[in-house]
This record gives sequence, C-alpha cells and structure tokens, in this order.
Amino acid sequence: MRSGQRNRWLAALAGLLFLATGALAQTPTLYTKWENFTTANGMPDAKVLSVLVDGDRVWAGTENGLVLLEKSKIVKVLTAADGLANRVVTGIAIDQKTGDLWLSTFGGVSRYSGGTFQNFTSLSTGLANDIVYGIAVQNDFLWAATTAGISRMNLRTGEWSIISERTAPMHEPWSYGVAVGDGKVYFAVWGGGVLEYDIAGDYWKPYTDPDGEMEIVLFKNQGLIHIIVSNISYNHDTKMFWASTYFGMSGYDGHNWYNYLSTDSGLASDFINATQTRGDDVWACTDKGLSYLNFKTNTWVTYRPNPKTRRGEIVITGPDKKVTTRETPTTLVHNYILNMAFQGDDIWVATAAGLSHGISESHKEGKSHEQARVGR
Amino acid sequence: MIAASQRNGSRVKRISSLLAIASVSAVVLWPGWTGKAQGVNSAPAAGTKNYFTPAAARFSPDGAKLYVVCEDQDLVLAVDPRMQRVMGKVKVGHRPRSLVVSPDGKNLYVANEWSDTVSVVDAATMHVRRSLPTGWGPVGLATDKPGKTLYVANSIGNDISVLDLVTGTELKRLVSLRSPHDVELSRDGRRVYVANLLPHLVSPDESPISDLVIIDTQKQEVSERIEIPGVLELRHVAEAPAAQGGYLLVPFMRPKNLNPLIQVANGWILTHGMAIVRLAKTGGATVHSEVTQVLLDDMDYYYAGADGAAFTPDGRYALVTHADAATVSVIDTSLLRKRLQSFPAAELADRLDSALEFVVRRVQTESNPTDVEVSPDGRTAVVVNRLDDSLTLVSIPGFQVRSRVDLGGPKEISALRHGQQLFHDAKFCFQGQFACATCHPDDHIDGVAWNLETPQLGRDRVANRTLRGIAETAPYKWNGHNPDLETQCGPRIAKFLFHSEGFNPKQLADLVTFIKSIPLSPNRHLAADGQLTPAQERGRNIFFQKGCDTCHPPATHYTTKTSFDVGTASKYDTSGVFDVPQLDRIYEKPPYLHNGEAQSLEEIWTKYNATDKHGVTSDMSKEQLNDLVEFLKSL
Repeated sequence: MRSGQRNRWLAALAGLLFLATGALAQTPTLYTKWENFTTANGMPDAKVLSVLVDGDRVWAGTENGLVLLEKSKIVKVLTAADGLANRVVTGIAIDQKTGDLWLSTFGGVSRYSGGTFQNFTSLSTGLANDIVYGIAVQNDFLWAATTAGISRMNLRTGEWSIISERTAPMHEPWSYGVAVGDGKVYFAVWGGGVLEYDIAGDYWKPYTDPDGEMEIVLFKNQGLIHIIVSNISYNHDTKMFWASTYFGMSGYDGHNWYNYLSTDSGLASDFINATQTRGDDVWACTDKGLSYLNFKTNTWVTYRPNPKTRRGEIVITGPDKKVTTRETPTTLVHNYILNMAFQGDDIWVATAAGLSHGISESHKEGKSHEQARVGR
Repeated sequence: MIAASQRNGSRVKRISSLLAIASVSAVVLWPGWTGKAQGVNSAPAAGTKNYFTPAAARFSPDGAKLYVVCEDQDLVLAVDPRMQRVMGKVKVGHRPRSLVVSPDGKNLYVANEWSDTVSVVDAATMHVRRSLPTGWGPVGLATDKPGKTLYVANSIGNDISVLDLVTGTELKRLVSLRSPHDVELSRDGRRVYVANLLPHLVSPDESPISDLVIIDTQKQEVSERIEIPGVLELRHVAEAPAAQGGYLLVPFMRPKNLNPLIQVANGWILTHGMAIVRLAKTGGATVHSEVTQVLLDDMDYYYAGADGAAFTPDGRYALVTHADAATVSVIDTSLLRKRLQSFPAAELADRLDSALEFVVRRVQTESNPTDVEVSPDGRTAVVVNRLDDSLTLVSIPGFQVRSRVDLGGPKEISALRHGQQLFHDAKFCFQGQFACATCHPDDHIDGVAWNLETPQLGRDRVANRTLRGIAETAPYKWNGHNPDLETQCGPRIAKFLFHSEGFNPKQLADLVTFIKSIPLSPNRHLAADGQLTPAQERGRNIFFQKGCDTCHPPATHYTTKTSFDVGTASKYDTSGVFDVPQLDRIYEKPPYLHNGEAQSLEEIWTKYNATDKHGVTSDMSKEQLNDLVEFLKSL
C-alpha cells in the first residue's frame, strides 16, 4: 500500500473512532434498574432528606431518624430514642479521618461515633441555632448551616464561632447548605446567594444574583442565577461549585458562570433542592424528577416515575435539544427529589416517598464499590 | 461500731501474718526493704522534698528491664528487676504519667501530661530521641502491634491522638468523651482499649455512666463505645488471654451518690469493683458487648481506689491494685468464671459477697499502689507504690511479697508528702470505704453530684469541686460554711463523711499542707505569651461590661470569697445562697453550678439564668455568649 493511501485510511479510521467516541460520550449511562426503600419495607418515614455513602454503607436521614443500609438491606434505624438530637435528619457528613458521622437535625447537631450519639445544641454549646440544614467537616473544623447563621466548631479546642449578617457579607443569616471545596468552603444562603470562605485568607466573599430578578435571567451567564439558594455542592475534579436555587441551577468555575433553566435545557424543573457533582456529571434534585447533566457534552437525562403507568420514564435531551424518551419497568419511588449520593457507579436518591437506589449496568451484587465518602 | 483505723489495723495484722515469712526474707536479702509503709505512721518532716512519685511501670519484652515513670521528677528509671536496683534514668517531659515499650524493645514512649508531648526514649542508652506533640494532657498510651502507630489518651482534650511513629506526626484525633486515662492494645493487635476516668455528663438525678472506648486498629476509628452504668473512674484495662475467654477486666468505683453520703455507716455508699466485658463477636448492627459488674470489697471492709490491673500470662490469676487501700487483690479467674455463671449479670452487680468467692488473697503494699505489671515469665508481679517511691515485688503463684525495691527517693517524709499519703488512705473512713482521693481523682473532680450531708434523699445535692489551686479560695463548701481547710477536712469530714475519729491534729495539718500545694494545670486555652485571641478579647470586654467581676474579681482567683443567691437553687435546695466559685481553669470542671445541673459553661446562662440574677445575660446575642465562654476558658 502506498503511503498516501495508507494515510487516507488512517485518517478515515481516526475519523470513525472520533465519531464513535463522540457518540458514546453523548450517550450517558442510563439507570434502568431501581430498587426502592419505603415505609413498606423498613424505612421509619417516607420523607428522606439526606443520603451519604461511606464505602459499602449507605446512611439516609429521614424525617424520623437515621437509617443505615448495607448491601441493599436496612440494618439499623436510629431515632431520637437512641440519642439522636432530633428525629428530622437534614444532612449527613463524615469525618474522613475519624470515621465519625455528623448529622444536622432540627434539634441541633449529632455526632455518631462508635455506636453512640453526642449532641450539640444551641443551649448546651455555641451552635447558633438548633434548626440545622447542612453540615460538613473541613479538616479540624465542623461547619453547620443554621437558620441563624453559619456555625463553626474547632474540633480540637471546642471553640464555636458564628458567621451571620453581623460578621460576614450576608444580608440573610438563614443558611441551607455547606460544601467543602479546595481551599474554600461554600455556603448556600436563603436569599443571600452563595457565600465563599477562603480558608487560608480567612475572608468571606458573597455571590449574589446581579440582575436581582426573581423569575427571569436577563443575561444568561452573568452570575448566580438567583439568591434563594437551597443547597450547594463542589466538584473536586472540575474545581466548580454548583448551586441549586428555586429558580434554576448555577455552576461557577472561578471565572465563568454556567446557568440552567428548565426552559432552555433538559432540567426537569427550576425548583431544585440540591445538586451533586463529580467528573463531568452534574445532578439536580428537583421537584419534578432527578436531572442529570453531562457538563462536557451538554446532554441531559431526567428520571421520573410516570404516575399513570407506574413505570419509569427517562427523558434524554441532546445538545441539539432533541428529546428522546425511554420507559423502564422500575423507577424512582417519587419525583420529588431532595438529595442524592454516588456509590461507585450506582446512585442513591432521597425522595419525598422513600430512598431509591439506581443500579448501574456494571453493578454486581457484593461488588466492592469505590470507597467514596460523599454526601450532602 | 469499730473504728476504721482499728478495723484496718486488725486486717493489716492478719495480712501481715500471711506475709511474715516472705517479708523477713526480703529484709535480709534487700537492704531497701523497710517492712512498713513509711509515711502514714512515721513522723513526717516539714518542707518539700524531691520525691520520685512513680506512677506506672512496664517490662521490656524480654523481662530483663523494668521501666518506671516518675511523675514528680519528670524521670523514667530503668530498673534491673533481678538485682532490684536502678540501672539508669532519663529526664523526660513535665509530669510523665505512663509509658509503653515499643514491640521491639528499642524505644520507650512516655506520656508527659503537662508538656502535652510524648518523649521517645532510646531504651538502650536512656536518652530522649525526640519529643512528639500530642493533644492536651496525655496520660496513657499504647502502640499498635507493628510499633508504627501510637495511641495517646489526652485527659484534658478528652480525645485520643493517633501518632505516626515513622513521621512523628499526628494523624488524627478520636473522641474519647471524658478524661481518657488508660490505653491498652488487645493481645491480637486488632483493637485498642481506652478507659475513661470520668463519667458522662448527666443530670444530677441520674446515676453515672462511664465509657470504655474500642478502637479498630486497622481503620484507626472508634468501633464501639461500651457503656458501664453506675460507675466511674475507669483507670485501667486488662485483657484475659484468649484461652481464658479474652474478656476485659476494668476496675471501677461505684458510688451511690444519689443517697445521702452520711449513710456511710450503713455501708455500701462507695463500693469498688470491676467490670467484666465480653466484646461483641462481630461488631455488627445488633450485636453488643456484654458487661457484668462484680465488687471486689469484702462484706465488712472495702478496698478503695481500684486502679491497676493485670493478668498472669496463663490467665489463671488477675491482679487489681487498690490505690487508696495499699492492697492488691488476687483473683482466681476460674473461680471468677464460676461466679459469673452462678448469677444473672443484673443481680451480680449488687451482690456483696462476690469477692469471697474469687479473691484468693489480699496483698499489702506500700502507699498508693497505682499500677501492677506481671513479668513476661509470669513469676513476678511488680506493684508501683506511687507515694512510697518504691516497688513491691510479689511472687507468683504464691502471691507473697518478695521484696520492696527502693527507687531512691528521699527517705525523709515531709509534711506535704505525709499529707498526700493521708489523702490517699481510706483507712480513716468507716470500714475503709473511701479516701479523699476516691472522690478527687488526680486531686480534681469525679464529675458527679453528691447528696453529702442532708439526710433526706435527693436534697441539697452538690457537684464535686476540684482541689486544684484552692489554697487561696476560702471559704470552702458550696454553702461557704467552712472558713478554712482545717475545718473542711477535720471534724466535719470525720463526723459526716468518714464516720470515724478522723485525722489527728498533726495529720490534719499535713493533709491541709498537701491540699494547699495542689497546683493548677497549665491552661491549654491561653496562648503561651498570654495574648488573648480576638474572641477571648471580645469576651473579656463583655465580662467587665456586664460586671461579672463584681463577684468574680481577677485579683482573687475570680471569686469574692463570699456567698450569693444567683437564682440557681432548685426545689431540692434548702438555701439559695452559694459560695462564689473561683474560675481558674474553669473549662476543666464540668458540670457547673452548685448542683452540677449545667453540663457546659453555656448552659449556666442559656438554661439556668432565667431571671438574670446570675448577671444580666438575657440581652446577649449568641455570638457574645460564645465570646464570653472563650474568655472564661482562658482564665
């Protein structure tokens, strides 16, 4: 074969490979198999507010206690009678170093360590308020998002600090979520946008909606999409934070904003309770289903149960806005999604009617999942 | 009623006769042996001496050396147990409390309570290789089986430092809860056990609960917290050999602090025993460890200050020291097992006749035996006599005192030392139920509230108060009725608490000398240069703006030395007027207020100052209260 012919062949082959790779990249892995955990099979309450994966263990915070699942079985239900600060568990975090679990509740903060709870309330400690929506551990500091501001506890010295409208650039103290980034901690502030704390510099920086409009976005990527921020997550792979608001979703990489509305994307709804993100994946927990965005390809997938057929509905929206749908025999237990977490290739979804487990094609029973410790 | 000292005298006589032959031999063979505890009955000399105050001992892996940590001289001694002489010594950090030998025997790790460090000592040359920072107040420690990781109990930080011995860095801190004391590695190396000296903070109406913490050495995480109800002062953990069941033995003190303490003469107000802990097999969701409690006291006499614990290598015997009774109890473990099988656990905890069944010998020691270690060959038990600067060597299996090894401290007993020995001597109490130290471990608090002098059940309950740094804080007692320590520790103690003739004037003077000498520990919340943090500075301003200094003036340890009603009385209190407590090292002293109702400094104002009588604080923001608390911690 002459060299010119060979080069043309190689070019053609490379082109085919490129197209095939591109096609594969635009077809995200779909979750077609689901198992659900509800009050009918052991959950203490229908509403699951938070979920965290710790290796093979899955912790779910409900409106009536904390649930531990192992190998898709409920193995422990812990309630206020067991020492939990309050029955409503809004958030779960794990201290990577000690393995201790930290829980935000409607009655303060609980630490679950070695099988027992230790509680921290606003009466007994320096916690700003007992209504706590979000929690995170950052090295030797515990951060708690409360209705009266952000609380920080130094886990070495026991010192508590309160960050509120009196001490930081936040005109509302009511905080909903916290996420630990790289050198920064981010907070979702109800009516106050996103608040960023620089750990090394010990200073605060607010991100608010520059147009101040409630319902519309005047300039699409001008800044945070809305100041009513319901939660926040951080992507350590892309160094971006993702903010969920009740009026759309925003991502920020330190230079550019990426905003999404249901009207111009595959997002199921603009009412978003939380986001979770890793790699190119961004998940939005909405009141109308669970939406997935491949940030690289701008491909969307929304999962939701079809109330008429009781089967699952998968809606795929390509970058060209072309929509395809697919039906699955099993699906999420409810379309009101409150949060989610990753377990290897599987996902766990907190909904208003129970906990749903999205089982990936690669999932095998007993398979050792990636030892990811992620959550709200 | 038999006077305590008389009763104890007869007991000593009985035990002495058992040991007579061995003791005589020891006197002949070992010049250092005096045959009698030096302090209690000998004429003390005035002044402070440089006593060694050995607190703990560990054998080298081959048993050829015994290392003894001496807390008052900041020393570790190397002792030849065969020749019974000190071979070497090394200066370590301030107030060393315990040590552990590396598995290869090459290094000693010493916990320095007041330096917040671990000294790494070359065992061959007895010099300090390096010093590793820890958490606050390290007192107990253990290495893992490969000797690469060190677990350190931080008594003030209430946590456990996990140190990487290769890099010398702290990997993490695990929460222990309250005053972790002893750290031991399991025989298979898979677990580390941590005993907490102080119990949970609970309501004054509740019995204490103490924790034994189990750490998974593979994950380096807390895998279980085993609650031992009704007890406190878990000072040591010993694990039985697997062939003997592999259970844990944990000495404790069991107070009936909700009953009037004046009922001491009725018996069983303070008892002393041990928890037998059978660990959960799997650590799974529903499998819990089992705890059974048995008492080590006799029916008519008590053995206060259950402290050190060790098994013989074959597990046939267990030894428990009674630090406030100068005694070691020898337990036949086969008889103990039989006893455990004879009664349900719930009943056994309250049986008063258990010790009769399995304690086969009471060995008298010198003053304040805080630790016991059995030699690797199983032929000798070494008892550390903390306030006698000596070791008692006990032969096994005969359990006869072989000799007393003098560690070389001053021979003369000062008034202060004598007082310290009295502080740790339960013989002054009816039937030896308790010594001062029993309720003031480490000269501090036991963490519970007591119904002291009021005969009615549940009335006038008061929180235990520290003895650290109290010399200039008279008057004493929560009602402020005792103008000086002589009154506090003299006839009042004898009449209401000890139910005995108490101390004679000379003994009382010496005891007071010692109590007045008890220092404060270093302040961990205050920077070395005394500079306040911004939060502490803000809190300081609040302290003075709010007029806190009216009753808590800085010049006099933050107390006016008078009594006030600050609205904290409960319906169970006869009077609402209470002594103004000093605030030095206030962070070390929870619970707070006269009855121990406030489990944290915050609760003093968030829960128990509804009428603003304890300072006008209802107008303070949460941020201000946090700042005030930070300032108080700096005192």
